[in-house]
Amino acid sequence: MITFTFNGTELQGEQGQSVAAALLANQMRTTRYTRVESKPRGLFCGIGICFDCLLIINDQSNQKSCVVEIKEGMSVVTQHGN
Amino acid sequence: MAIKHQVIIVGGGPAGLNAAKYAANAGADVGLVDSGTRLGGQYWRHTGKENFDQSMHYNFDQGSLLIDAVLANPRITIYTNTSIWSASIVDDSVVLRTKDQEFITQRLIIATGAYDRSLPFPGWDIPGVMTTGAAQSLLKGSGVVAGKKIVVAGTGPFLLPVASGISSHGGNIVGVIEASTRNVWLKKLLILLQNPSKIIEGAHYLRALHQRKVPMRFKQAVVAAQAGSDGLLESVTIANIDKDFHIISSYQLSCDVAAIGWGFTPDTSLAGSLGLDLKVATDGSVVVSVDENQRTLYTHESVEIFAAGESTGIGGSGLSLLEGAIAGLSAAHSSRDLKELKSMRKKAARFSLALTEVYHVPKGWNSWLTPETLICRCEEVDYQTFCHARDELGANDARSAKLFTRCGMGMCQGRICAQNISDLLASNDADRIKSVYRPIISPITLGELAQEGLL
Repeated sequence: MITFTFNGTELQGEQGQSVAAALLANQMRTTRYTRVESKPRGLFCGIGICFDCLLIINDQSNQKSCVVEIKEGMSVVTQHGN
Repeated sequence: MAIKHQVIIVGGGPAGLNAAKYAANAGADVGLVDSGTRLGGQYWRHTGKENFDQSMHYNFDQGSLLIDAVLANPRITIYTNTSIWSASIVDDSVVLRTKDQEFITQRLIIATGAYDRSLPFPGWDIPGVMTTGAAQSLLKGSGVVAGKKIVVAGTGPFLLPVASGISSHGGNIVGVIEASTRNVWLKKLLILLQNPSKIIEGAHYLRALHQRKVPMRFKQAVVAAQAGSDGLLESVTIANIDKDFHIISSYQLSCDVAAIGWGFTPDTSLAGSLGLDLKVATDGSVVVSVDENQRTLYTHESVEIFAAGESTGIGGSGLSLLEGAIAGLSAAHSSRDLKELKSMRKKAARFSLALTEVYHVPKGWNSWLTPETLICRCEEVDYQTFCHARDELGANDARSAKLFTRCGMGMCQGRICAQNISDLLASNDADRIKSVYRPIISPITLGELAQEGLL
């Protein structure tokens, strides 16, 4: 088991899971809000093509949650705009 | 630091793996580069050996054997977690650049695969709507079932393994919605029967779905999605459609995930950035042009570039393996077994073409769009803005539409919307090809670009 935080709340994931998968397993579906209309977005292509599941990982924005693996102690935060 | 190999292969799926194996066995020194954490590509995506659940794959044995053979081959060096940002031909070599490395070779094999084709519809941006490939990668790569009530929809043989896999792992599939007719494959029966293993594989999935009483619907499509007060997917509108995809009647179905795929789009980004010849395939997608040795049409006295697998046209894993083998041998300048491999490729290609024709996507999906439907997800360009540019401002090619509306200009560089925009513009082949040339292969930030000296 891996412990990480999403917007400050502690959640658990499993070794080898993507960040997006670990969030979905915890019923978290929205990764970011869009730049123009602030609409929620989540995982879409699942393989690093579409850039919809972007979020902030360890203070770095625009991280593709579908391809980054979840790691112990990771700080994951919803992204607003860019 | 520059890394050099006799042959460099980009992409570690079926085509790239087999290319590596054949090239190395023919004596070449091979570098195999893949952006993922583990070899296997999308087709053999897996969670890693230790906790690997074989039941998620129909024929993982084949993949496992190939991956092991590649890993054990001393002539192959593996570079995983390695994304190519840009590529060019400098002097007499191909130079591939990543964030912190350069790869240099005189013989490149492009095996960059494909991704799901998506069609726009009202609500396709709501969290919970995803591609079939996304639902599949969640299951195969992370062992996670995408939701509690899942609709699998679109068209093509890929819907079956996705639905069957999710269902076998405890997921609740509330419907498999296939746009074509139940017996569509009868049209090409003779060709399809020449590949009995694929028929058996299809029957395996159908039996699994039938046993779990998963409802299957034909001549239907998801044409709209609705969000609840929390902004997440709550239901979809499913329509009975005619052969042109026009809506006849519709009903609602409650779900929290809609996994939708309309076939696949070849990833030609690397080939395009090297300026290689691309062409339009029968399904309207843009693919890399190759000759019978999988060699691209690029001619240079010392540089040879090959392409294999889905980037040269959607054909499935069987065809990709054969193309990979041929590309690997050609790159290693060996002709051993080449004749037999080519004849097998011919048969596999005929089967793939028949499937593409059977699961054709007609252009009537544009009747599902409302003025507010997003055409470009990245730049949030809606259909009315697009229509204004096309019909009032005279934007009749992808470039003008992009300049007027920003559609196709976002982070994904049109990977999701380019083919749809070409359809909406009724583009000719030349414009379709132009719309997929991308200078940057893997999008990066402006800061990183400046650092790389690319600005």
